[in-house]
Amino acid sequence: MLVAVVPAFNEEKTIGSVVRSLFSQVDKVIVVDDFSGDDTLKMAVEAGASVLHHEINCGQGAALQTGHELAVQLGADYVVDFDADEQFDVEDIKPAVLAMQKAGADFLFGSRFLGEKLPMPLSKRYIMLPLARMVNRLFAGIKLTDGHNGFRILGRQALEKIIITQDRMAHNTEIPAQIKKYNLKYLEFPIKVVYREYGQGILGGLKVLGDLIMGKFVK
Amino acid sequence: MIVFFQIIFSLFALMAVGSVWKKSHEGLLGAKGTVFWILFWVLAATAVWWPKSTTILANTFGIGRGADLILYISLAVIFYILFKLNVKIEGLSRGVTKLVREKALREVEKK
Repeated sequence: MLVAVVPAFNEEKTIGSVVRSLFSQVDKVIVVDDFSGDDTLKMAVEAGASVLHHEINCGQGAALQTGHELAVQLGADYVVDFDADEQFDVEDIKPAVLAMQKAGADFLFGSRFLGEKLPMPLSKRYIMLPLARMVNRLFAGIKLTDGHNGFRILGRQALEKIIITQDRMAHNTEIPAQIKKYNLKYLEFPIKVVYREYGQGILGGLKVLGDLIMGKFVK
Repeated sequence: MIVFFQIIFSLFALMAVGSVWKKSHEGLLGAKGTVFWILFWVLAATAVWWPKSTTILANTFGIGRGADLILYISLAVIFYILFKLNVKIEGLSRGVTKLVREKALREVEKK
């Protein structure tokens, strides 16, 4: 069974169409509403998703882990993490799963740098993403062509082994670190991303760094 | 004026030592903590009655004034406490996340 997990916070405008388009590619869609102040929850239910609701805002990493735990309970063989803001293309999912199966991989990272050159803000391409790749390499010990990309697919083994403890955005580095720790087989796969908003800036990046350092001391 | 401050401080330090002793007897403070806090207040009172002692100590570390040494140590201690507090808050936050997650998963099971 292929399940999509969509963490969502105040995404009432896009969540409905994202869920409906996902149903053309996956068997089940789990939306984790991270205490949205708008109608995200209602829209996701109306679109047919299984909706989990956080009673306080915990962060994207926490929402993903909640979704993964439900996916494990449902018996998912593959889980695709998918953003709620229409940045990703659902058409990338099936070829990515096929590539994983062909390679016998436990985990797949979406990459914006393997396929055709995608339009993206210059500061993101030349400052933020090289920094993110460096942080990933430093903290996770894995060299990836992309940094902090939310499109990823977990096989059953990865789903059971990887436990996200970084509640906010630092999970993007924590996940590769766990892949290395558990010696999971991974691959990168070219995906398309359409930028609707900038995403993390310098301050967000510094916060991620702070969270990663703090995470080393929390039991 | 200085003697007035020294007397007031000494009274305060005595009260603090008394409070430490009481907490130790009630089992609220361990042996290490009791020794640390009594030593702390005795040293603070010594520094207040004999200000040159801090300067002598500062000079051994290559610092000119005793007041500067106290300032540096205080800053280091405050930063350490802030760091420990941040770690504690992060730990609590993760605990809360676990509870929120369990509740969300229970709710979906009920449906």
